Amino acid sequence: MKGAYILADYPYRDLFIREFEYLCRSKVDFIEVGLPFNDPVADGPIIAKASNEVAEKGYNIDDIADIIQCNNGKKIYIMTYSNIIYNYGLERFSKRFESILDGVIVADLPNIGHEFFIKKGFSIPIIPFATPESREKDLKKLNGFNGGFVYFIGIRGITGGEVDFRSENIKIKYNEIKSFTDKKVIIGFGVKSVDDVSTILSYADGFVIGTEIVKRQDDFEEFKRYVDKIYL
Amino acid sequence: MKGFFGEFGGQFVAETLIPALDQLEEAFERFKNDESFISELNHLLNTYAGRPTPVYFARNLSNMYRTKVYLKREDLLHTGAHKINNTLGQGLLAKKIGKKRVIAETGAGQHGVATATVAALLGLECTIYMGKIDAERQEINVRRMRLLGAEVKVVDEGSRTLKDAVSAALRDWIKNVETTHYVLGSALGPHPFPTIVAYFQSVIGMETRKFFEKEIKSYPDYIIACVGGGSNSIGIFKGFLDIESVNLIGVEAGGMSSRLGEHAMSINHGRLGIFQGSLSFVVQRDDGQIAPVHSISAGLDYAGIGPEHAYLHSTGRVKYLSVNDDEAMKGFYTLTKYEGILPALESSHALGYFIKNYEDFKNKTIVILLSGRGDKDMGIVAEYEKNRGL
Ligand SMILES: Cc1ncc(COP(=O)(O)O)c(C=O)c1O
Repeated sequence: MKGAYILADYPYRDLFIREFEYLCRSKVDFIEVGLPFNDPVADGPIIAKASNEVAEKGYNIDDIADIIQCNNGKKIYIMTYSNIIYNYGLERFSKRFESILDGVIVADLPNIGHEFFIKKGFSIPIIPFATPESREKDLKKLNGFNGGFVYFIGIRGITGGEVDFRSENIKIKYNEIKSFTDKKVIIGFGVKSVDDVSTILSYADGFVIGTEIVKRQDDFEEFKRYVDKIYL
Repeated sequence: MKGFFGEFGGQFVAETLIPALDQLEEAFERFKNDESFISELNHLLNTYAGRPTPVYFARNLSNMYRTKVYLKREDLLHTGAHKINNTLGQGLLAKKIGKKRVIAETGAGQHGVATATVAALLGLECTIYMGKIDAERQEINVRRMRLLGAEVKVVDEGSRTLKDAVSAALRDWIKNVETTHYVLGSALGPHPFPTIVAYFQSVIGMETRKFFEKEIKSYPDYIIACVGGGSNSIGIFKGFLDIESVNLIGVEAGGMSSRLGEHAMSINHGRLGIFQGSLSFVVQRDDGQIAPVHSISAGLDYAGIGPEHAYLHSTGRVKYLSVNDDEAMKGFYTLTKYEGILPALESSHALGYFIKNYEDFKNKTIVILLSGRGDKDMGIVAEYEKNRGL
């Protein structure tokens, strides 16, 4: 499962639409669309700066909902922060996006918080996280979540950090996570190069790239070249 | 999810931090009842920080406004504000859980200085995050922190104030959680921070209550405290929540106006939202983006408020009101001139509220919490005077 993260409305609406459509036609298996928030605590400088820029200008969530449909069976997820969904309304968001999305990834909603969203009427599947810090008792619960896969934040850190995906530590943790869940486990945060990708695919179910894509969103040619190179 | 006060609070943080929050909660629950921990903390509070602080009867102010005004003098503490109550507590806790490094956010710089001080005292490495605008307007505190051995990282993104300093500190914590404890400076953020900070600040309320029980033999009618994130106020309120005759007033920063971007009134002009770890009142735009905020006092210049305050507001136990920049400055000048005490601009909001509404307090006994001293604010006061041709 090869995933790509793209930040909504960055650097501006038209280019975002062209890039989203390009991803739809690419070999990407799933697309995560970031809804910008101006307090992006889990993001590194590149995505944080881009998010702040879009948030500053403002964007309309309903417009984004109309845009992010591929019509060819690719899975689509929204990745954002709790307040963006909470403010729109947990039930209202569910109704608006239920036919579009396969799930949401909420960077500041830990696994123990899913029930809070669900109790307040949120009905879209929420992707659970695993991290290098996850304890056995956390991993045991993974199967119980309604999200379709597990998002493994392979590094202790924020998006865009440096990671060695060959390191034994990551593989050991990865295998530990797999031993507790039947869900696919996708590695995110810090994936950059063709080499990273082939390393990851040698032991993992999949990956998602964010920072390296967002970095290229302001240059369509660069964006296309990168996408073509990574997603074969 | 844990850590709700009524419907407010929770732990809205990256998954990576959950084990650290659990560890902190466990340590806190264990040590808050541990005799040797408590006696070590009390020893430092008494011999190092300067507790207990006096409750001072402000005779001149009382005569002027025909009321009995008492000041709880947290401004007399080492480092100049109530923040040291919390940093000593959390610093000791960090040592107990084996962390070698502490980090903190700071707005006015008072919490940064208090954290750097405790780090020096306890031999911990220390990094302080401070927004660029705050670092400029509270420059003396930046120098103090550096002298104390802390690394000060100036945050030059977003609104360049406290919000961005908290985010930067959270990012650091996510990365270095194994070795590092995050000394959050106010009663906000994810559980267990609001509870921990309130606990370490509740010494303010306990001492004040004891003073009234022992010396005055009755309780005050009103307690007034300024509210930024809410740590000095929750600290004093905790001593009186169960005495219904004591009216509790939290004063928010009204800034220049109630227009978005010109104030920091989370309860009076915010909406429920999820911000920096908890569900509480947040100054935000219609689309859920965190709004820029303004207050003349850097320590109140924050878009959120601790979840326990949201709860106390919802039950009506505490009234949350506000004064604007000018009214706070009036409080500042009045106390300086008539009592010879230079208050922090944060605390000046509590004073300003009293002065503005003094008719309501006639013949009553009131306590105003002086959360800190104003030396750090000389630059802001000078600029305020310059802008107004004073
Ligand atoms: C002197 C003083 N009072 C009050 C505050 C506001 O914080 P809190 O509401 O947490 O007491 C600050 C924050 O920096 C401060 O320095």
